[in-house]
Amino acid sequence: MTSASISVQPGRFVLSGLVGQLKGSTLLLLPAAAFLAFIYLLPLIDLIRISLSGPTWSVYFERVFAIPLYWDSLVRTMQISVTVAFLCLLFGYPTALLIHRSRGITQVLIATAIVLPYFIAILIRTYAWMVLLGRNGPVNKLLISVGILSEPAQLLFTRGTVLLCMTAVLLPLMVLSIYSSVARLDQNLTRAALASGAGPIAVFWRVLLPLTLPGIGAGFLLVFVTALGFFITPTLLGGPGDQMFAMHITQQADSVTSEGFLQALGVVLLAITLAVVAVAGRFLGFEFIWGGGKLSEAAPARAAAAASGAGPGRRTVGTLLADMIGWPLLRLLGRLPASCGVWTVRGMGGLVIAVLILPIVVVMIISFSSASYLTFPPPGFSFRWYEKFFSDSNWMLAFSNSLIVAAMSACIAVTLGTSAAMGIVRSSIRGKSAIMLLLVSPVIVPPVVLGLSLYTLFLHFDLVGTIFGLAAAHAIGGLPIVVVILSAALQAVDPKLEQAAAVHGASSLTVFRKVILPAIAPGLAAATFFAFLHSFDELVLSLFLSSAQLKTLPLMLWADVNYRLNPVLAVVSTLEVLLVVGGIVLARPVLARSREAA
Amino acid sequence: MGEPVALRAGRSGESTALASQGGRLRERSLIGSSIAIREAVKNYGHFIAVDRISLDIEPGEFITLLGPSGSGKTTLLNLLAGFQKLDSGEILVDGKPIHHVPTHKRGFGMVFQSYALFPNMTVTQNVAFPLHMAGVDRATIDRRVAETLEIMRLSEHARKSPSQMSGGQQQRVAIARAIVMRPKVVLMDEPLSALDRRLRESIQIEIRDLHQTIGSTILFVTHDQGEALTMSDRIAVLDAGKIVQVGRPLDIYRHPINRFVASFVGESNLIEAEIVQKRGSTMTLKNRAGYVFNAESRDAIDVGRATVLVRPERIAVSNEATANSVPVTVTSAIFLGEILRIEARMEGGETLLIRCTDTANRPLPAAGDRLHVNWGAEDCWVLA
Repeated sequence: MTSASISVQPGRFVLSGLVGQLKGSTLLLLPAAAFLAFIYLLPLIDLIRISLSGPTWSVYFERVFAIPLYWDSLVRTMQISVTVAFLCLLFGYPTALLIHRSRGITQVLIATAIVLPYFIAILIRTYAWMVLLGRNGPVNKLLISVGILSEPAQLLFTRGTVLLCMTAVLLPLMVLSIYSSVARLDQNLTRAALASGAGPIAVFWRVLLPLTLPGIGAGFLLVFVTALGFFITPTLLGGPGDQMFAMHITQQADSVTSEGFLQALGVVLLAITLAVVAVAGRFLGFEFIWGGGKLSEAAPARAAAAASGAGPGRRTVGTLLADMIGWPLLRLLGRLPASCGVWTVRGMGGLVIAVLILPIVVVMIISFSSASYLTFPPPGFSFRWYEKFFSDSNWMLAFSNSLIVAAMSACIAVTLGTSAAMGIVRSSIRGKSAIMLLLVSPVIVPPVVLGLSLYTLFLHFDLVGTIFGLAAAHAIGGLPIVVVILSAALQAVDPKLEQAAAVHGASSLTVFRKVILPAIAPGLAAATFFAFLHSFDELVLSLFLSSAQLKTLPLMLWADVNYRLNPVLAVVSTLEVLLVVGGIVLARPVLARSREAA
Repeated sequence: MGEPVALRAGRSGESTALASQGGRLRERSLIGSSIAIREAVKNYGHFIAVDRISLDIEPGEFITLLGPSGSGKTTLLNLLAGFQKLDSGEILVDGKPIHHVPTHKRGFGMVFQSYALFPNMTVTQNVAFPLHMAGVDRATIDRRVAETLEIMRLSEHARKSPSQMSGGQQQRVAIARAIVMRPKVVLMDEPLSALDRRLRESIQIEIRDLHQTIGSTILFVTHDQGEALTMSDRIAVLDAGKIVQVGRPLDIYRHPINRFVASFVGESNLIEAEIVQKRGSTMTLKNRAGYVFNAESRDAIDVGRATVLVRPERIAVSNEATANSVPVTVTSAIFLGEILRIEARMEGGETLLIRCTDTANRPLPAAGDRLHVNWGAEDCWVLA
């Protein structure tokens, strides 16, 4: 009897310690929240303050909307963004279905072809398109050899090019978003519909489409919002008539204009973005920003809202219209042979993969070119551009700067993000969704606006052109990546495991080291890699916050792309692709192990 | 969308009339289709899921495909539904080959283990879905859905969404959706295995009654032998992609064809013995310990070694030795309510499982007790 009472005593003690620790996990949210408040919220608030600081509060905004240049550009930005979002949807849906329907190695290959470009810098992918569509590029050569063109045509600097390239850059976002909602469906739903006498088209229209609508909505909005703030691609590929709003902000920032007006431009872009996200979040739930990972706290309320709002049985005007117009149209299509649908999916999916992968392959081949200018196919192969890159001290300095900044940035993001993710998953405070929203919101703020707002802060604290400042700024964008990946990883860890370890006498630090850390190690590795990559690829913030003394690799690339296209850029691009591929290959054993454990 | 209706309704005058009148569900006006599976083969790479299976199913029959997981029963059902394509062989429904007819034109009803109710539709919309797909007019749809919901006792849930219902209710909606077209064939893929035991038993009876009412041919897949025995007209036992035995539940239980069927269906004692003598369908055997007993058999078996099946409930237990009784030592005895489950070892090492009803004058045996067991020739069955 005595031995029993003794053994109960420490158990109770550990349990009460555990309760204390759970309460303490709210504290884990503090570092990240403080970091974001200082370096992210404060500058944005300051930006808004400056934009309102004119003689009357609205004077700068009146100027923005009075000048046709800006108004036209705003309308154009909206048009381009909506078009790009629609194009992404059109090509992304079949691609997502293709991934879902293929099996085994084919599925892995297709998924890799979609995901890989997503992790390669936008600047590099845009550069690849410039190479592809250039005067001596493969597209022109092909068109001439086939006989469609008699001499090289100007394919760059048109609206079509901007749309094509922005669509290609943003497509992975759409595909992943739709795929995640398609993959979640019970496969038997399709079978049940087929067994109920629904043809493939009816299955799509009555079952697949309604059930994947949230994924479509999320993908559409993510693409739209990202496109609104797009800067790199339209600058490099657009003509004078394709100026997007974000480009005006950078131009105004370069030329010394009156303070306030510049900030007003930024606030307009920010306001539009946030308004779109707010409206979307109202209907979809804000989870769409971080890919639907619902938090335990919000789930019941959200489900109830979904049941009452978007629940079945309500025939809205939209569904009525869709039934009256869309359904008869689709039934006409139903007269086509059954294999048409399959081949449409395969054809469009194949096209998408080609469009995503080809530019990268072309750039990698060109990096080995022996020619001194950009031409494809290369007249001969050599390592001369690799030699040039590795022997050029400017490139090497930029390379090492980038590595240092990215490593520091990843450190900051992972430390703060891990702690915040623990806090989000384990603490029981209210308003978790709001905190999660704050943590991931940097993803939706247009980088140009963020850069603009940070510039003022950095000037004030004399951080412009410092490695630490740049790393901290990059960590703003790295943090959401870490938080999303790690909170998913942590949610997969059964809290009972921790309790079991604690009951058997492990202290909370030991629990973390022996139980939690091994379980989330793959997630942690992935998060570190992506946070590193985010900083390594970051261009727009660096444009605002760097100095002539502190050049990063993307900045060097940016200067060179604007100055002259040469194969050195292809070398850098190839190295970046190898970095991404290498990272994924290195991560694979870790991921495989985690899957086995699960 | 004209074809499915034609295919569904065009087979007999009866069912055409039914389609035009919108169906009177309570009358047994329809007889299900006959199904003939001929030398069906389905491979997944090197794995043979369905290995030259042939099976004839009578019109209106309730047949169960019973087997452990991986035995090919679900693959066979998927081949029938058209979710997968035959590698070779053929499937005939009412004498017509169907393997080139796509799923949605086969006109079957199907019930899934995961219910597979469309979460974006209400109960009514789910049940109306097949009718919509067949292009039936709205008034008929409303009437047929109401009738079907009433049969499945779901009328008060008509406007609910599936997520608001319990598992048992959801499965009844899924069954309603499968029968609303009065299909000649209904396929059921382990429809009860996600439910708890009590619910399972009540829905088993419901499905049996329903089968009497609608008269469709029902193909029911399960790995639960109890379920198969209770519900089926006939059972086809599958193992490793082949049909091992087809027969009425009683035949399968009493006269299994081999060790696999004997041990998969019901509990069993399998005793190795040597055949001593054979007279017609009765033979005399001797087990390892030298006990001689009689057993029934099919007459195909020659002299040599054989495995004898004795069902646990056929073994009589007494405290005193009687003529032909075998002494055993109890190793465990468990009181299960209406019966006792006793494990006892025979001399020679074989363990017997015994189930006997609880009676007032017998105390619960304890491990180590000596008992005497006995069985007649009609209680033993020699396996092929």
